[in-house]
Amino acid sequence: MSKIVNMNCTDCKYYLPVDVFKGMCKLSKQDILPDDAFCDKAERIAKCKFCGKYTAGKEFLGKCMATTLAYPDMIAAKCADFEWSSQN
Amino acid sequence: MESSSESINYYGNKPAQQVEDREKKLKPTERANTARELYFGAKSSASMEFPYWYTRRWDELDGEIPIIRRAESLKAGFEHLTPVIYPGELLAMGKASFLRGSYPMPWLSEAFFMAAEDRLYQEALESGKLTADTFTTVGKGGGNVTKSIGKVISIAGKFGLRVEEMPVMLEVAKRWKDRSVDDVGHKYEQMVPGYKEKEAIMRSVICMFDSGYTLPQGREVMNYYYPLQYGIDGVIHICEEGMNEVAGYPEMDRLYFYKAVITMLQGLKAWIRNYAEEARFLANLEKEEKQKAEYSDLAERLDHISASPPRDFHDALQMIWTFHVAVLNEDAISGLSPGRVGQVLYPYWKRDMDRGILNREKTIELLECMRIKFTEIDCFASMGVVGGVLSGNTFNNLCIGGLKKDGTSAANELEMLILETGISCETPQPTLSLLYDEKLPEEFLLKGIECTKAGAGYPAWVSNTVAMEFLLNNYGHEGMQMEEARAWAIGGCLETSPGSWMPLNLDGEIHWIPGGSAPATSVGVHFLSLPKILETVIFDGMDMRTGERIFPAHGLKLESYDELWQAFQNYFSRAVHVLTLTNNIQHDAWRKISPSLVNSMLKPDCLEKGRDLGQMGARFNTTFNVESCGNTTLVNALASLKKNVYDEKNFDLATYRKAILDNFGYHTAQETGSWSLIDQKPNEQYSEYQRIHRMSLDAPKFGNDDPYVDSLFKQWEDWFCEMTHNYRSLYDQPMYACQISVSTHAPMGAVTLASPDGRLSGTTFSDGSVSAYPGTDRHGPYALFSSATCWNHSQSQNSQLNMKIHPSVVRGREGSRKFLELIRAYMRKGGFHVQFNIVDSRMLKQAQADPDKFRSLLVRVAGFTQYWVELGKQIQDEVIARTEYEEL
Ligand code: SF4
Repeated sequence: MSKIVNMNCTDCKYYLPVDVFKGMCKLSKQDILPDDAFCDKAERIAKCKFCGKYTAGKEFLGKCMATTLAYPDMIAAKCADFEWSSQN
Repeated sequence: MESSSESINYYGNKPAQQVEDREKKLKPTERANTARELYFGAKSSASMEFPYWYTRRWDELDGEIPIIRRAESLKAGFEHLTPVIYPGELLAMGKASFLRGSYPMPWLSEAFFMAAEDRLYQEALESGKLTADTFTTVGKGGGNVTKSIGKVISIAGKFGLRVEEMPVMLEVAKRWKDRSVDDVGHKYEQMVPGYKEKEAIMRSVICMFDSGYTLPQGREVMNYYYPLQYGIDGVIHICEEGMNEVAGYPEMDRLYFYKAVITMLQGLKAWIRNYAEEARFLANLEKEEKQKAEYSDLAERLDHISASPPRDFHDALQMIWTFHVAVLNEDAISGLSPGRVGQVLYPYWKRDMDRGILNREKTIELLECMRIKFTEIDCFASMGVVGGVLSGNTFNNLCIGGLKKDGTSAANELEMLILETGISCETPQPTLSLLYDEKLPEEFLLKGIECTKAGAGYPAWVSNTVAMEFLLNNYGHEGMQMEEARAWAIGGCLETSPGSWMPLNLDGEIHWIPGGSAPATSVGVHFLSLPKILETVIFDGMDMRTGERIFPAHGLKLESYDELWQAFQNYFSRAVHVLTLTNNIQHDAWRKISPSLVNSMLKPDCLEKGRDLGQMGARFNTTFNVESCGNTTLVNALASLKKNVYDEKNFDLATYRKAILDNFGYHTAQETGSWSLIDQKPNEQYSEYQRIHRMSLDAPKFGNDDPYVDSLFKQWEDWFCEMTHNYRSLYDQPMYACQISVSTHAPMGAVTLASPDGRLSGTTFSDGSVSAYPGTDRHGPYALFSSATCWNHSQSQNSQLNMKIHPSVVRGREGSRKFLELIRAYMRKGGFHVQFNIVDSRMLKQAQADPDKFRSLLVRVAGFTQYWVELGKQIQDEVIARTEYEEL
């Protein structure tokens, strides 16, 4: 199980987004809100903010590999360079 | 002012009967119903994944050959999209990772979604690019995110974006400054002599929008042949062979085209396989056996079509849906019509039915799933485009009927089921158009009637004969002959688009399937407000709403009707001239910066020629047009001036000018908050203008078989259709007339002062192109048909007639026959298109007052069906006001 402090449902790999306001849990099929807190079954999905190559910048912006524009909440499941950060 | 009962049939419809519901009620399958309920609860949502990766890759490849750079960027976008699959889906895949997902495409245009105070936004406003946004109302209900709430930001009054993605959206958008199609086109369009006049035209909303960077593709018919016949790997193989043939030889662009298509297809393969992987992930999580099996089946199907041709009907349906979405993801597109899908898929369907691996029930379930998927499509665009033109719709038109290659009826059993599911699963997409031909069987036509009566506004009825005549006239010089003309379909809401017959080989048997064979058939001068141009004629070139000069003063006294008409022709021609040139430049910027790759791969003969659509790779390339708006309002205004000023000399033009400026003594539509004439309120000046207003309203009105006004209509049509041929498109082909209003008659009406026909300031124009102005057609449908066909419709890409019929009139079997005879009569008179709202206007009034109770109510607007709650109030008012026929 990944670390779950300050995580919300959009950080979870079981979150199925319906729209910008709401989603569904892939496990329970229940309606959930993106900002709901992690439950005990939650697991992090790969996002830039969890990547070892990401450095945070000003709010909601950062850098990938110190050079390229990136943003923390981008899902990186399909990024070939993603690696889990040891920081979080 | 007169009592409302006196104003019936003057100002529009005020129905008095009890509310009566539509006749036919069929229920969707449980699966489709669940999916539709999920859709009803979902909001339009934007995300940044695709534009982020597209831009990142673009920036990495500075200096690369443009078409390769474009292909790599598309590939990066596709392969990084997060797949989302909803429970119960038999067809998967979508534009972005939300149910109604879409995303900005800043490589086309970046200014409109910047903050209002941003310099980019202000510059766009100044050049007239965003004026139409200001006068557009967007539907307040349904899936539109009209206001920013909590962590969601509203863009263009429709799309929600999570606050976490806002900074990156702005950052990415700014990177496209001076590089987007919009900016590059703008840089060069300023070199057109008279460019300043173009800006003034845009600011006055005489022209609605530039097509080159807003909706550069669409209004065309898809062609699914190549992936169906060869599969993706097969197409890659064709491109590899093409590369081998052309590498190092002259016309080297072919090499880059083939390479670019391969790169793009690799991106699509990855995208499809990512969905397959997600389906497998869901199957592993799933406890319920049936759903688990469906996820596994979906995963296997997606894996298969990521490489190979479809094996069965279900594969083929998934394949065409996948490619439909893929095209939508390469450009901002409205009006990408799937075309004659029931004929394209028939060989697969028939084979499966004969083999016993498919039945009627399963077909219906799949077709309903298809309806839901098409309905999920959103197009991210500015408020003026998405609200003022599209009304939130995306115009994916599915055609049924018409003729086969050999000239016999093309209607088939699968199309009967497509009609059936149009009734059982009412959704705006895909809308249906029935290509009416005398050879179509009665049973099929009556099924079409049954569907039209159900009230969702489809199928629209369009004449196969008129369309083919137009096509042969327009594309004859490019080699089109009768047999190929039969392969046509409607692209977008009502654009007649050329097609070709493709030889689908299934088990050694050749099936000739129809598919589109031209790029976008409606780009160019979009749309021209005819009543507003007349206003500038009356005021010597000025826009009196803003006080800005639009055209050079004509300095004429306008002492005769002929002089007035010539002045109108002169201003109209000036507008077409400058807009054609600036538009050609914008489209040139588009084809250089953002060439089509997915759609180019699909359209014959791009693969054969090794050229993309922008390089005239398609078989037919006479595809630019001039679109009009407010035809009937214009002609009614001309008739009033002719009668009151020139023939009977009841008033002079100076008196008209004053009455127009004072809005005939009424408050403006903005002040009353309603956009239809019937609801306008007089002010204290009313008595001063009562006589002129009354006589303007009493002047002959189009739609009553009255030669006085119909002859002016014919004069306008004959001149307009002919004059467009004098202008040349980017592809050096003559342009042609296109006559559909879509939703533009609302914002264009909103900026136009009162008109000499008695219409008041700010109110909506007449809809369609041959519809009567609401409430003015007082001699029944057959008189309307006579007026509408006073000119030859095959001179134009289309004509559009919208009618509203009370449900009681067409009730029962006898009502159906009467209804079919009515449509037949119009088609036999030479009408091109007619569509119906079978609805009680009182229900629409109720829905306006209590939208939550009417979430699923559909109405026909002008070439498209839309949820009532997602229409702006301007259009809602106009649809309510339309004449409601209570007898035929
Ligand atoms: S490597 Fe991929 S996941 Fe990591 S920061 Fe860069 S883009 Fe994000």
